[in-house]
Amino acid sequence: MTVHIASTVHVGRHGDASDGAFAEAVGGRLSRVDGPAKITGAAKYAVEQQLEGLAYAVLVESTIASGKVRAIDTKAAEAAPGVLQVLTPDTIISLRTAADWFGTPPPDKPYCPLARDITFSGQHVAAVVAETFEQAVAAAALVKVSYDETPAIVDLSDVKAGDGIPIDAMTKEWGDAQGAFASAPVRICAAYNTPREYQAPIEPHGLIARWEGDKLTVWEPSQWLDGMARTYAEWFGVPFENVRLVSPYIGGGFGSKALALSHGAVAACAARMLGRPVRLVMTRPQTFTGYGGRAATRQTVTIGADAQGKIQSIVHRGINETSMDGMWVEPLGSVISIMYATPNFSSRQNVVRVNSVVPGAMRAPGENPSAFGIESAIDELAYEVGIDPLEIRLRNYAEQDPHAKKAWSTRQLREAFAAGAERFGWARRSPEPRSIRDGNQLIGWGVAAGTYPVRRAYGEAIVRILADGSVEVESSSIDMGQGTYTILAQTAAETVGVRADDVVVKLGDSRFPRAGVTGGSRLAGVMTGAVYKAATSALDQLIGLAISDPRSPFYALQANTLVVANGRIASPRGDGPDVSIAELLKSVGRDHIEATGDTMPANSTPEDRYKNYTTIAMSVPHTEGDYSRHSWCAHFIEVRVDEDFGTVRVSRVVSALDSGRLYNPKLAESQWKGGIIMGIGQALLEEGIVDRRHGRVVNNNLADYLVPTNADIPDIEVISVGIPDPHSSVLGGKGVGELAIVGVAPAIANAVFHATGKRIRDLPITLEKLI
Amino acid sequence: MTKTTIPVHLDINGHHHDLQLEPRVTLLDALRDRLGLTGTKKGCDHGQCGACTVHIDGERVLACLTLAAQVEGRTVTTIEGLAREGEMHPVQAAFLEHDAFQCGYCTPGQIMSAVACIREGHAGSDDEIREYMAGNLCRCGAYPHIVAAIRQAALEVAS
Repeated sequence: MTVHIASTVHVGRHGDASDGAFAEAVGGRLSRVDGPAKITGAAKYAVEQQLEGLAYAVLVESTIASGKVRAIDTKAAEAAPGVLQVLTPDTIISLRTAADWFGTPPPDKPYCPLARDITFSGQHVAAVVAETFEQAVAAAALVKVSYDETPAIVDLSDVKAGDGIPIDAMTKEWGDAQGAFASAPVRICAAYNTPREYQAPIEPHGLIARWEGDKLTVWEPSQWLDGMARTYAEWFGVPFENVRLVSPYIGGGFGSKALALSHGAVAACAARMLGRPVRLVMTRPQTFTGYGGRAATRQTVTIGADAQGKIQSIVHRGINETSMDGMWVEPLGSVISIMYATPNFSSRQNVVRVNSVVPGAMRAPGENPSAFGIESAIDELAYEVGIDPLEIRLRNYAEQDPHAKKAWSTRQLREAFAAGAERFGWARRSPEPRSIRDGNQLIGWGVAAGTYPVRRAYGEAIVRILADGSVEVESSSIDMGQGTYTILAQTAAETVGVRADDVVVKLGDSRFPRAGVTGGSRLAGVMTGAVYKAATSALDQLIGLAISDPRSPFYALQANTLVVANGRIASPRGDGPDVSIAELLKSVGRDHIEATGDTMPANSTPEDRYKNYTTIAMSVPHTEGDYSRHSWCAHFIEVRVDEDFGTVRVSRVVSALDSGRLYNPKLAESQWKGGIIMGIGQALLEEGIVDRRHGRVVNNNLADYLVPTNADIPDIEVISVGIPDPHSSVLGGKGVGELAIVGVAPAIANAVFHATGKRIRDLPITLEKLI
Repeated sequence: MTKTTIPVHLDINGHHHDLQLEPRVTLLDALRDRLGLTGTKKGCDHGQCGACTVHIDGERVLACLTLAAQVEGRTVTTIEGLAREGEMHPVQAAFLEHDAFQCGYCTPGQIMSAVACIREGHAGSDDEIREYMAGNLCRCGAYPHIVAAIRQAALEVAS
């Protein structure tokens, strides 16, 4: 048994830079350790591997939204130069249906990633494989597909769409919401809409698939190596261990790269049939239909309140679109059910089938549109009763989770309101709409809150202390820009007692110890915990050897504790030897020390572990036990609206955020600002536009689907108001990545109302809605 | 393969390359697929995102809208050729210091654009930087940090 006091993880009072004694410790502002590779072009992303014999695949997509493929004429394509193979539903090998991400046993029927029955425009119907990319592109244009077309339901506003399917699991009700609303002195009711939005990572989806016998290697940008490996294994009926996913860097995901998708199946089939590695990368237009963006949503929010603005009842009804053959539920009741105290509440949700690709996860699915509803509605209530929009939020502050009826683990939202308001200068705001002007620009100030639950899962990691005294960390988790490489280096460095420079973190290979999905802002909390445990265990072994091995220079000291810092081992009293880790390992004849750590419950079976890492079935509810766990934020935003043209510019943003303890404030601030910027895009620019004749997304490219550019974004100030939350993660952090987008769009809509007197309830806020 | 290729001679980062290419091969695909210079990224292949920005004779150009055969006899610099003798360009160093990227995929294009933006004399103010960097999309939303990095690097380059 060894006892050591070396470098125990220091949990500071604040979630800011003051936590870490050095930039390299947890809480320090260490620059990205993967940064040098990214800024020099050395970082090889998944599809950039140079493989011998690589063939190139290009997809052919349906041009109708509903109907059947009558015939596919491949003759011209097959005769084109360099073509190796044309895959159609008739020629592609048959796969098995894989379980969904919950691990639900799939129906026992074949799966074909190329479609005969068309349920949306842009569905994959064929693929061409050729010796070069150019040849594949040219030949794909020669594939002629004929269809028997049937009428499509193009979107939620289609008269054929109907009311949809009630999702009972989404119902949240307490008290008598309808009765209390009917008798409330102040009543507001409004409808809020959000359009289809797209994740639009700058790296398009794609992969390289290579078979060696029954073993498949897939280089693919992935937010979930083990989940995707399971899907490939089940499709092809090979053992899980036979599939290796490699994803060293991910060029943005935002929710869209967590699942193995049909284009991946096509490429893996092509590689198997051809006996060669195959690369398939979606074109930018294909990324708008090859997987789903955020579903379009409709909400009605009714609030009954007293004359002082105290809420008595909230009634909420929501719908989101889903596809004809898939089920996506965007949980619209998530924020409205917890943000404010109310004695009476009712939220219900339907989903409506339309001819679209099945929608998917996009940064804060559910919380994002839910916050647009309630955070717009409470602003409307503030104006109805004549109370400051910030004051009405404080007046209805939820002192506990109103839905789960549990205490918050930590909720620094009041502090966020105070810090943001102070920095923004909110107290100087004149409440009257159209009361601030600069020439022909109307200026408005808006506020809104946001929240995101602390989703928790499990992860495992190996920490090795190597002969040269350096430390190696391995995990199949990933870094798509959140900073995983960096914060795991900081965690291992601080825990073992070495410099961060001496830690090498290896991620993005499914051969490494496993990790669940990187989504729901859970990875940092999960993986810092796993690395902390593995590193602690490795340090225990190191100090145990130093104390007990007769060859160790510390053996004669008869110590029961040693200190490891900056890669050197010494007695805490300063007496005795002072040697480097490398020297100690050499003296005891070891070339490395290795320890595995995980955050799984102690009695977990191998089956539990497999299920945990390859499905989301084992995620821990954020309301488990005595607490309700969430991140919180408050956005204060200034807009300038051109009175003649109706153009809206965001001119100032101050956001105060509670993500608990920050493992690296420099990187967390970047993620927060990124979320805010995506929120500005959502508020003012982003909208998938559907051609009503063909059910086709027509702005399926980066010139017509507008994401924010540098010129759209002002300087943004973010303030951390978090405190360590021991109920949320091993090291006290809460979610970072998704939080900051939540509440941005309503803050802007509220600012636009303040500027113009016009309440826009339908995103994005484009000029024609203001003039 | 049918005889549809032409010889193309490229000068990239100070190295000479002799390639046999179809005339329709873009500079971007030649760099990435033929020469293994994958630092230049493909985000849209339509000149909409800026991820493929390289320098041709010192000016910023979109490699996806440029045929490889068009740059014969001209000097091409990619992100891999920006550092000199192992010394990072001030823009690269400033990007790291200011955390002007997250996923890193748009980053080579941002950096190549930023170097040219400074050289063009378009880094005089934050608003000017924002305008002249608006052709390089960053979906992670690193824009404020990109502006800060360019502001700093512009001063260093000038001094």
